[in-house]
Amino acid sequence: MKKNKSKENFIITLCDGPSCIHNKSKELKRDIEIQLEKKGLSDNGRIILSGCLGMCSKGPILIVNPGYTIYGHVTEKDIPEIVESHLVKGKPVSRLIIDEDHLYNRFFRVFGDVGFFGKQMRITLRNCGIIDPESIDDYISLRGYEAIAKILSDMKPEEVIEEVKRSGLRGRGGAGFPTGMKWEFTANQKSDEKYVICNADEGDPGAFMDRSAIEGDPHTVIEGMIIGGYAVGSAKGIVYIRAEYPLAITRLEKAIKDARDSGFLGENILGSDFSFDIEIRLGAGAFVCGEETALIHSIEGSRGMPRPRPPYPSVNGLFGKPTLINNVETWANVPVIILDSADWFRKVGTEKSKGTKVFALAGKVKNTGLVEVPMGTTLREIIFDIGGGIEKGKKFKAVQTGGPSGGCLPEKYLDTPIDYESLAKAGSIMGSGGMIVIDEDSCMVNIAKFFLEFTQNESCGKCTPCREGTKRMLEILTRITEGKGEQGDIEKLERLGNLIKKASLCGLGQSAPNPVLSTLTNFREEYEEHIKHKKCRAGECRLLLDYVINDKCVGCGACKRICPAGAVSGNPKTPHVIDKSKCIKCGQCYEICKFGAVDKK
Amino acid sequence: MMKPLDIIRKKRAEAINRIVGKGYLSTKRVYVGMATCEIAAGSKEVMEVFKEAVNKGLTDVYLSQKGCAGRCNLEPTVEVIEEGKIPVKYGKVNEEKAREIIERHLKGGEVIEEWVIK
Repeated sequence: MKKNKSKENFIITLCDGPSCIHNKSKELKRDIEIQLEKKGLSDNGRIILSGCLGMCSKGPILIVNPGYTIYGHVTEKDIPEIVESHLVKGKPVSRLIIDEDHLYNRFFRVFGDVGFFGKQMRITLRNCGIIDPESIDDYISLRGYEAIAKILSDMKPEEVIEEVKRSGLRGRGGAGFPTGMKWEFTANQKSDEKYVICNADEGDPGAFMDRSAIEGDPHTVIEGMIIGGYAVGSAKGIVYIRAEYPLAITRLEKAIKDARDSGFLGENILGSDFSFDIEIRLGAGAFVCGEETALIHSIEGSRGMPRPRPPYPSVNGLFGKPTLINNVETWANVPVIILDSADWFRKVGTEKSKGTKVFALAGKVKNTGLVEVPMGTTLREIIFDIGGGIEKGKKFKAVQTGGPSGGCLPEKYLDTPIDYESLAKAGSIMGSGGMIVIDEDSCMVNIAKFFLEFTQNESCGKCTPCREGTKRMLEILTRITEGKGEQGDIEKLERLGNLIKKASLCGLGQSAPNPVLSTLTNFREEYEEHIKHKKCRAGECRLLLDYVINDKCVGCGACKRICPAGAVSGNPKTPHVIDKSKCIKCGQCYEICKFGAVDKK
Repeated sequence: MMKPLDIIRKKRAEAINRIVGKGYLSTKRVYVGMATCEIAAGSKEVMEVFKEAVNKGLTDVYLSQKGCAGRCNLEPTVEVIEEGKIPVKYGKVNEEKAREIIERHLKGGEVIEEWVIK
C-alpha cells in the first residue's frame, strides 16, 4: 500500500506466464512504471504480474482495468501511447486491443487484481464466485450449454472423443488416467445400455474442491456429463455425491431440474435425436466409495466394497453395463475443451500433464483457500506466492499432498513443478488435490499417524493386507508417539508398508502406507529420536514431554489445584515442583499457568 | 429446422433478457458468497441485511448470491461491481460491516478501502 491513500483509479495486469516472460513482460513493467512516473500517475493505480492468462500466442498481454481492456503483442514502444491515451485521456488504444475472451478468464475480470487469485488460472472453477449457481440464466449467459449445442450441431461422437484425447486431459480424481482413452474404451463397447457417472464422493480430510465446484457452478458438471454421454453413447447419467454435502445436493437438484426444463436434459436435447438424463445417488460418506468399483457397488445397493480390476468399469460397470466414471473436476474441464479447443487446452501445463489442477490449500499457511494453477507450477509458487508463506514467521517443514493416500515432501522438493509424474517421483501423489502445509511445530510421526488412523478407520475390511496391515502399522505408530517405540519398529513399518502397497485390492490400501513411508524417507531422524531418545522435537507428542516448573513461579497454586494426579507440590507463594513419577503429562498445568512458569521439554 | 447452435443462441438471448429484466443493468451489482463455507462464516446473516435494505427501498442495486471463490480465511466475501470501475471485493463481512457498506458504498459511492481484499 502506498502511504497516501489516494484512490485507485486503474489496475494494469501484465501476464507473467512462461511465454510472456520470454517476451519481456518484466521489462514492460519497468517501462510502464517510468511512464506513470512521468505523468505523475504512480500513486493512482497498481501494476500486477499475473500467472499465465492463456493467450500465449498473442503475448505479451497487458490488461487495463476498469473496463478489462486486453492488449496483445505489446512492445515497449506501445507503452507511452497506452499510458497517454488510455490512462490519461481515457481512450483505449484500439489498434492493440485483441478480441480474445475465453471462458476461463471471466473470473479474472472480477478477481484478477487480488494477489491470491492473480497467480491462478481458473478453468474448472471459472464460474465459481462470479455467477449465481442457482440461476441457469447466469450460466447460459456465459456461453453455458453452448458446448452441447456445438457437438450436437457439428461433431460426431468419435470426433468429441478425439478432441478430448488430443487435449491431454487426465483424470483429476487422483490416478491421472488419460480421460479420452477411458471415453474411447467405453464408446467401443457394444451394449444396449451404458452409464455415465460423476464421482463426487470427495472424502479426503481437508479437501473441498468438488463441493465448491458443485456449489458454485453445478451446470458445468452437468454439461460435461452430457458431452460424455453423447461421446460414449449413453442415455443415463448418475451423480454419486455424499450426503454430507446438503447444499451441493440441493443446488445440483435444482440445476438438473432447470436443465431439464430448458431442454438440455431429457428427450431430444436441443431438437437433436440425442437423449440423456441425470439422477443423483447419495453416498453415506464412506471413503472407500470414492474407489470406482466400490462406488458402483454402492449405487447398485450393495455394500460399498471394491472388486479386483480388470474388468474395468468401461467394460463391465454399473449393473454389468459399460460405464464411464469421471471425477467432478474432470467433468468441469470438458465444456472448456470443446469450446476453447483441445489445441488451446494442451498449451496449458507440462508435457505429460495438461491443463490446470485445483488444490485445497490448508494448514499452516497465511492464505488458505482454493488454488487452481496450471500443471507445472511449483510447490513454492503455490505455498509462498499464492499462499503467502507460513503463518507467524515459522519455518516451513513439509507439504502433504494427495490426502491420506499421498506423502509429505520436505523443503528440497519445493521447486518441483507439479504434475502427476513429478509428484509420484518425489514420493507423493497428485491425488484429488488436498495440500496441507506443515511447519516446524508439527511432529511428522504424528502427522503420519493421523492419516493412517483415517485410512485404517475407512478400510472396508475386504482384503487382509489393508484390514490387518494398517491396524498393525497404526499400533506401531501409536506406541512410538507414546514413547514406547522399540528398536526395529522403523524396519517393521517399512516392511509392512511395502507389503500393503503391493498386496491390497484397491487404491485405498495400495496408497494407505504412503504418508508413513514418505515421512520415513524424508524425516527418518524424527522417528529415530522418538524411538531412541524418547523425544519429540516439535513438542506435539505429549507423552514424550517433561513438564518442569521454572523460576517464574510465584506460587499461586493454580497448577496444584488443577493437577488430576496430585503431582504438583509446594507451599503458597513459594515455587512449586512437579513430581515426574506421578505426572501423567496431561498438560493442564501448562495451560492454566498465567506466568509462563511451566516448561515442556 | 433450427440447428442446436441456433437454439442455444436464442436461449442465451432470452436468458440475458431475463437477467436484465431482474435489474442487472443497475448501477451496482452486489454478490454475496453463499457456499457452505461462506454460510458457516456468517454470510446468510449478511445476505439478510442486503435483502432487507433492498426491500426497504434501496434502489439501483442488483443483488445476487454466488458460490465460493476460494478465499477461505477472508469469508464471508461480498463483491460490489460497477460498470467502468474496478470491481470491489470485501472480505470478512459481518452484519455490521454490511450495513456500513450499504450506507457508505451503495448509497454514498465510497469504497471502504480498509476492508478491500487485495
